[in-house]
Amino acid sequence: MSVVERARRIIWVRRAVQTAVLGIFLYLLTANRPADGVAPSAPVDFFFDLDPLVMVSTWLATHTLEGISLLGLIVLAVTLVFGRVFCGWFCPFGTLHNAVASVRRQFRRVAPRTEAYSRWQRAKYFVFIALMVMTVLGAQWIGVLDPFSMLYRSVSLTVLPAADIAMSAVANGVYLSDPHLGPLHLRDLTEPVYRWWQERVAATELRVFSGTTVVFLIFTAALVLNLVRNRFWCRYICPLGAMLGLFAVRPLLRLTSDPDQCNSCQKCTLACPAAAQPELPDQWLATECFGCWNCVGSCSNQGLDFKWIPPTRKSSAGAVDIGKRRALASAVGGVAALSMMRITPAANAKTYNPALIRPPGALAERDFLQRCVKCGLCMQTCPSGGLQPTWAEAGLEGLWSPMLVPAIGWCEFECHACGQVCPTEAIQPLPLDVKKKAKIGLAVFDTNRCLPFAYGRECIVCEEHCPVPDKAITFELREATQRDGTVRTLKFPRVDPDRCTGCGICETKCVFKDAAAVRVVSANEDRHPENQPILSGSDPFADPYGNDPYGNSESEASSGY
Amino acid sequence: MSGSTRRDFLKTSALVGGGLVTADFLALTRAALAADTLPAMAIARWSETALAGADLTAAAVGLTEAAIASLGGMDRFVKKGDTIWVKPNIGWNRRPELAANTNPDVVGTVVRLCKDAGAKTVKVGDHPCHPARQAYRNSGIAKAAEAAGGKMVYLDQKRFKDMPIGGEFLDKWPVYLEVAEADLVINVPILKHHGLTKCSLSMKNYMGVIGGNRSAWHQNMDACVTDITQFMKPQLTVLDAVRVLTDHGPQGGNPEDVDVRGIVAASTDVVALDALGATLLGHDPAEIGYVAAAANRGLGTLDYASLNPVEKILS
Repeated sequence: MSVVERARRIIWVRRAVQTAVLGIFLYLLTANRPADGVAPSAPVDFFFDLDPLVMVSTWLATHTLEGISLLGLIVLAVTLVFGRVFCGWFCPFGTLHNAVASVRRQFRRVAPRTEAYSRWQRAKYFVFIALMVMTVLGAQWIGVLDPFSMLYRSVSLTVLPAADIAMSAVANGVYLSDPHLGPLHLRDLTEPVYRWWQERVAATELRVFSGTTVVFLIFTAALVLNLVRNRFWCRYICPLGAMLGLFAVRPLLRLTSDPDQCNSCQKCTLACPAAAQPELPDQWLATECFGCWNCVGSCSNQGLDFKWIPPTRKSSAGAVDIGKRRALASAVGGVAALSMMRITPAANAKTYNPALIRPPGALAERDFLQRCVKCGLCMQTCPSGGLQPTWAEAGLEGLWSPMLVPAIGWCEFECHACGQVCPTEAIQPLPLDVKKKAKIGLAVFDTNRCLPFAYGRECIVCEEHCPVPDKAITFELREATQRDGTVRTLKFPRVDPDRCTGCGICETKCVFKDAAAVRVVSANEDRHPENQPILSGSDPFADPYGNDPYGNSESEASSGY
Repeated sequence: MSGSTRRDFLKTSALVGGGLVTADFLALTRAALAADTLPAMAIARWSETALAGADLTAAAVGLTEAAIASLGGMDRFVKKGDTIWVKPNIGWNRRPELAANTNPDVVGTVVRLCKDAGAKTVKVGDHPCHPARQAYRNSGIAKAAEAAGGKMVYLDQKRFKDMPIGGEFLDKWPVYLEVAEADLVINVPILKHHGLTKCSLSMKNYMGVIGGNRSAWHQNMDACVTDITQFMKPQLTVLDAVRVLTDHGPQGGNPEDVDVRGIVAASTDVVALDALGATLLGHDPAEIGYVAAAANRGLGTLDYASLNPVEKILS
């Protein structure tokens, strides 16, 4: 078997592997469905456990290592041996890029000039350095650009809901208008498909996510840019690609070329998605190469091959010169970006955003942001759909991190799924009985709207939905004089702050749909003792000096960030 | 897709026509009863002495079978090839032991009896306050109904259609299309406490077939529930009082609020059945606003004893 034939077989194997991995990624994504109030049974955060970028950044930000995330070490070890095959063979985002790039030739002429190495490819290393510096200083912004986070967030928060809306529009359109020819009804065809979609794929009621336009646009742009340059994202931006590149400086498996066979046809240049310079003997860029074997398969003269070379031998390869000054500038840029994000009062615990209601088990804000990779797993699994990506609520530092928006959905009492699926434990995996008591906020009545207060009408909707077994909303019976002078005895609701967990179902179910008459704010949240205005205990005056009235001895200001 | 279609027009015509005749509802029911002299109400109880250590699954199945059999069997209501909508209370993501939802074995048995009577399709569904998938599963109803050959339906928000309720208070309101299209709707509520109406019974359970801003109904619950009951023209209602929620209803959550009663009652007269339910919870039926309102409107009788209910004691 010739070198080229062998390479072409390997390329087919690679394509099969890529398809399979993308399939597993999408399967795990759809398997992340709410189930009985416990975690989904499939290992839905598997890809994040495997992500060395998430592993290292979480480690740097928090100085702790989670056992399972050490799977990322396997990826690093593989990279040391084979180079960036992770990018070429495994990464599901990379596979999507490949798919889009495959139609590229129909849109534009592909010339060696556009396929050759560009110094702009160094940009990803600058991005990586800046992000790592931010991480060391405690800001986990990796998630905004990490390929798994970005892909998961984009598909689960935008693509899947959009597909659900389309399916629903078609199926319900057919169902309600019922076009038929005699006994043949079109709905007999669409209904089983819709049922399958709802039960197997969507698995929830229709989901909506606020502020996802930007997520969708960035995702679309990342894919469309493949028409400009093959695997644009992977070449120029991807911080995970950059990290793996640093581990691929001297892999054991290296591209070798026979200069005597090269007729400078540049077929290999056109075949290379990574612009790794296969066409220049001794100038092949190991840190850029995806190990995809396209170049080997493209060479008419059998002049290229991957060969095992001991690491002791300095590679016959070129190197991307990042440059000390540029690396330093990137680091400074990271510090500048971090500082800019931290200027805000909320970032310094001077103020607390009442709308920033974090899921139950979320760590104190600073610790939370050190871990959250903005992947969207928690938002996707939330059975009520109440967990939404932040936009400005948590500052730029907390962009796309989860917050509960009770106007959309509430924290379901019999559920702790968000903490179970969180890949970095930014949301702690609380046992269900602990989660049921976890306080994430406090319900507040707007008596200018609440029906008994403002309109003298009966309404008990908030109380009946309050999930606390002995009710955090109670009634005071009071008389209300009506317009005609008659007197009605009505139930006036009141919140018991000791019992209220801030789950938000009262706000979701309130008869007012524009701005509920009972709203949940972040006050009283467990994670911030300084944001707890109300003394705990049913009688706060009983023994003010006996036990710690704050229920927490360590104040936030002294926690050392 | 809110444009009017031929099917809608036919349905609307039928419903308006139906609304006009419901004023004579009770009279018609009585006439029908006189014709075949079948009982209008049946109460099956687990003997109090045997209740303590009873297997509640077996009890729920036996009681439901006995209650339906005493009414003349499911064949009286279900025709071969019918599409049936069984409407349990699956309002909450709660386990059966907490008595917030209808007993799953009661629901399963009703489904099985429908299938045995020749029903083509038995759909089971509710419009829960909690996420439907969690509520269907945790209530145990999905498992029981599917084992009996039923089909759980998750309501689709786009399939509620404004229907002419023609009530005294409600002119029109969105009702679930598949429910309105069913040949028979069997209401299978659970008896429980309710913070606003004192008890949640059969009529109140119809809140699970409507859409729209349901929270607004609480401002005039009695009229709204009476109107939807009149619109639904109940033919068969099966009241689950195997476990009863005595406080913190309708959601409950505290096992101490649950009382094991071991009763299943069934009736063609939904008002009488609710009067019985109110009595079981220690209320005078006339004090339950919507039950009294429905009786006043002639939808049934508060004096359930006047129906000479068939009583069965099981053990």
